[in-house]
Amino acid sequence: MDALRIFLDGANRNRTLFVLLVGFALFPIYTGIADLPFWNDLAMRIMLLGLAAMGLNLVLGYGGMVSFGHAAFVGVGAYCVGISQYYGLFNGWIHILMALGACGALGLVIGYLALRTSGIYFIMITLAFAQMLFFLFVSLEQFGGDDGMSIDRAEFIIIDLWEPLRLYYLIWAALALSSVLLMFIVRSRFGVVLQAIRSNESRVEAMGLAPLPFKITGYVISAMICGLAGALFASWQEYVSPDIMHWTRSGELMIIIILGGLGTLSGPLLGAVVFLLLEEILPEVMHVVAPSYAENWMIVFGPILIAVVLFARGGLMGLVHQMTGRRR
Amino acid sequence: MTVTLLLEQMFNGLQSGVMLFLIAAGLTLILGIMDFVFLAHGAQVMIGAYAAASLTALTGNFLVGIVLAIPITFASGFLLEFLLIRHLYRRDHMDQVLATFGLILFFNELIRIGFGPAALFSDLPKALSGFVNILPDAPYPMFRLVVIIVGLACAIGIHMLVSHTRVGAMVRAGANNEAMTAALGINIRLLRRFVFAVGACFAGVAGMMIGPLTAVEPGMGEPLLILSLVVIIIGGIGSVRGAFVAAVLVGMVDTMGRVLLPVILRSFMGQAAADGAGPALASMMVYILMSLVLVFKPTGLFPPKG
Repeated sequence: MDALRIFLDGANRNRTLFVLLVGFALFPIYTGIADLPFWNDLAMRIMLLGLAAMGLNLVLGYGGMVSFGHAAFVGVGAYCVGISQYYGLFNGWIHILMALGACGALGLVIGYLALRTSGIYFIMITLAFAQMLFFLFVSLEQFGGDDGMSIDRAEFIIIDLWEPLRLYYLIWAALALSSVLLMFIVRSRFGVVLQAIRSNESRVEAMGLAPLPFKITGYVISAMICGLAGALFASWQEYVSPDIMHWTRSGELMIIIILGGLGTLSGPLLGAVVFLLLEEILPEVMHVVAPSYAENWMIVFGPILIAVVLFARGGLMGLVHQMTGRRR
Repeated sequence: MTVTLLLEQMFNGLQSGVMLFLIAAGLTLILGIMDFVFLAHGAQVMIGAYAAASLTALTGNFLVGIVLAIPITFASGFLLEFLLIRHLYRRDHMDQVLATFGLILFFNELIRIGFGPAALFSDLPKALSGFVNILPDAPYPMFRLVVIIVGLACAIGIHMLVSHTRVGAMVRAGANNEAMTAALGINIRLLRRFVFAVGACFAGVAGMMIGPLTAVEPGMGEPLLILSLVVIIIGGIGSVRGAFVAAVLVGMVDTMGRVLLPVILRSFMGQAAADGAGPALASMMVYILMSLVLVFKPTGLFPPKG
């Protein structure tokens, strides 16, 4: 019953996250009635990006390790699907297991090498590894090189995937499971040490704990969550190209987290919702307000991001906490 | 692969290296000395390139265009610091990332509105469009040579400014101990604004010089930003001398890798496979270089003392 108590307490502390999760679970009912299948697609994209951002947030927000290369793990997860299909393996569950394994192993190697450095050097070395992987996949002509490869729909035995909503709920389940998992991780001894390392590494050392194994473990878990997001992303998009691991994608993940709120469970998902909704809505708004500039919606988007920094300390979650009168 | 071609590529490497240095010099001061994560530095390159290209088209004279564009880049850096950046010094690095990322989107879109999404091509001035022989029978484009000379001149200028002038001494003092420098009666706020403006100015000059060589388009600054970040890391954050060495190194490795790697690969791979893999592997070289440097010198080649 201890786990249940922690779960209920965590759900209470992270209401935003659970409200969003319930919202995503019920959303297809609305789109079904209103006949707006496009919005289901958008919701899946939001959930996938939110999932990847959540994974990154474990190291970025909780561990204080600014990894600028996490899109590489998303990409490796996606290519696990593409490459196994190339060799005739279509079982989606195996794709997911492969993505988890590959990203876990890769995260271990990159984490081990990169975590010898810290600060801006860590940022740049994670970028370097991601760039190497990016160019590696660009150079693999066999798997489409620059153009990428199209993917057939993976077969998920038990839940057959031909109906679009099954994929929707598979993505939702991955997101919900990862959320709960992260909730437990953050509150566990491991999670507490990770956060202690963020605020003062030498103090943790003085208490007799070696920080490196904790950091590497965090890095591996975060890489695996991103790999999971990548594998599902490939199934959703039915296409994978190196673009998914371009450095701007890593940047995008970071931006989503900072926008939502660093080191909060709800932040990454909220950030993904707002980021992608703004991307959809701003062009529409511009179309009404200034029709000739409808394509130039980023002229508003950029300043919105700046305004969030200037006026909402702690990102959107900071804003939420201010409004609900609760402190972090 | 002849000696002439190799020499030509070495000059190309030097040219891209000195241009990278112009961008990295300002960034290393902002990042290393002011401890500010400024992602919009690439936008300053773009602003410089657009200012020069449009003013050249307007006045019909390349030199006049450049001379008029330099104050614009200075002003853009100065104003940007005054309007936004100064409010962000005390903020978390991640806040600075988000805000300056917002700036990138804003500037790219502003340029797209003002000049359209298509790339701008500017003609080379006639006087600079010829070839010169750098060795007997080794012609090299005049304009690229001018770019190298301008870049080296700016590099010397930056070095003199930082190491041999009063302002440079103030900048270095401010980097070493900000509170103490302020206590000595130096206006730190103005100093920061000056560093930003000068940094923007040099980045802008880089944009002006590479403009005629590449496409002047929205978003042109971001790949350069990433490369100059690599330069700064290799050189040691905050070290201008390190940035110069690293910039030339990165320029050389990048350029030579692009030329030599496909040739080397072709000797043990099929032509098609080599041509496919070559450029991608060449792009990797810079990052491999950075990782190697960090393995042996974790704080870069010339870590600043203190």
